[in-house]
Amino acid sequence: MKMNKAKRKVAVAPVDEFPPGERVEIKVGKISIAVFNVKGEYFAIFGICPHQSAPLSRGRLQGTVVCNEHTNWEKEWAHDGEVLVCPGHAMEFDLRTGKAFGYGMKLRTYDVIVEDDWVTVIL
Amino acid sequence: MANSKDSIEVKRVEAAFNPVQDQDLDIYGEELRKYTIVDVDVHVDDTLQNMLPYMDGHFGKRLEAVLTADFMGEPHNSLRNMIAHVSWLGAAYDKHPRAKLATKEDLLDRMEYGIIDYSILFPSELLPIGYLPDPKWAASLASAYNEYMVDAYSNVAGVKIAIVVSPKSVEHAVIEIEKYASNSDVVTVSIPDVGVNPPLGDKKYWPIYEAAEACNLPVSLHGIEALIHDNYPLRVAHFPTLMQVHSMGFPFTSMLQVMSVVCEGVPVRYPNLKFCVMEAGITWVPFIMHRLDTAYRQYRTELPALEAQPSEYISKWYWGTHELEKLPKKGDLSKLLDLYQGHDTTMWASDWPHLERDLIAGLMYYDLDDEVRAKILGKNAIEFYGITT
Repeated sequence: MKMNKAKRKVAVAPVDEFPPGERVEIKVGKISIAVFNVKGEYFAIFGICPHQSAPLSRGRLQGTVVCNEHTNWEKEWAHDGEVLVCPGHAMEFDLRTGKAFGYGMKLRTYDVIVEDDWVTVIL
Repeated sequence: MANSKDSIEVKRVEAAFNPVQDQDLDIYGEELRKYTIVDVDVHVDDTLQNMLPYMDGHFGKRLEAVLTADFMGEPHNSLRNMIAHVSWLGAAYDKHPRAKLATKEDLLDRMEYGIIDYSILFPSELLPIGYLPDPKWAASLASAYNEYMVDAYSNVAGVKIAIVVSPKSVEHAVIEIEKYASNSDVVTVSIPDVGVNPPLGDKKYWPIYEAAEACNLPVSLHGIEALIHDNYPLRVAHFPTLMQVHSMGFPFTSMLQVMSVVCEGVPVRYPNLKFCVMEAGITWVPFIMHRLDTAYRQYRTELPALEAQPSEYISKWYWGTHELEKLPKKGDLSKLLDLYQGHDTTMWASDWPHLERDLIAGLMYYDLDDEVRAKILGKNAIEFYGITT
């Protein structure tokens, strides 16, 4: 039987106190989640780097270089402003998907909604 | 998985423009407090302008010329940048959090935080002196570095110093070793091993080993990631990216130097001299031991000075863990230590504050017996460097 667990919501900040370019770190028990406002769009991603445990909420947001069949195997700058770079040793994560660039792994991402004018993360 | 009883904490944060350090992590709790932790590879600001007051005559003038030259806008006219990093400048798109040079205050702050009990200071700027073509220029820089470091960092609680010698200037190296032998804060002789030709087992270097053994100072080999030169073990040819030269350049050089020192019989000639290798990782150590043993069976007559298999000598070497490889399973480090008998010879090293610096979390990831962890974090280094706690 499938359990229908109610999802837990965490109100992070009032919308007008969480403008583009800002970020917060939330801790729910032992779990750390990094939340970003990138040009008006909210992202939430698991907050601890799997490499050496650095806090991803402190990572810079940059672009990265891609090279694949879509770029005809030429290097191209891509994902500008949406690549979270770990402040430990620069592992890169796609904020939209949690996917680690160049690794077969992905961090958990969380939905973020605005509810009653509060930015709210759904766990 | 979060459950509804978990506490919730929301904190506004900013992007870090300095690399995260161990004290920035909150994963350790009290766990580390029971260990004496020695960081055996620490770098402080040794840029060349610090050497200027210690250099007289024409070498002083030469250094002044270096310091006023313009090298692509890089700060401090770094010797490393002049002959090394410019090759790959910008290739990583500044992805890495920029590593600042650590001032003395930075070092003291880090020590004061209480995770690290002892720091062994190694050169950064002086690491290319194994390569500099003029032996006297290299010797002059080494002398200035040693004077500066001893002036600046002697009698600082928990701080120990590696003096540097140029393998190009053997007589001068012996003088430097003897000069600092009685300073209890000087705990090792560092030989920058990249670009050293012939490799370090050659008889021309033996006076360095004789002096180090007589002064009871262990020898530490420390590489550097890049030099503009074509010949192995000088490294640009065949290494089009910094990633390649950084990851493999260190262990390639270290393998060459360990092989040379052992196969030329240095451990037989100087049985009480201890060696260690810095900044080359450790996964290659069993490889070279067993590879050389296999060849030794057939070619032993080429190495008549040896009284045992190469692995028996290599198993007595010490190893700084940086850059500690992340092996797939938590039990893998223990297996690796078994393969090279490294429980008593492996020493935790961070390479702080350089951008590749290891965090203690990298070691704590592995399952190890507590006693083995205590040895790697500090006890082995205390033994190797003869630190009186």
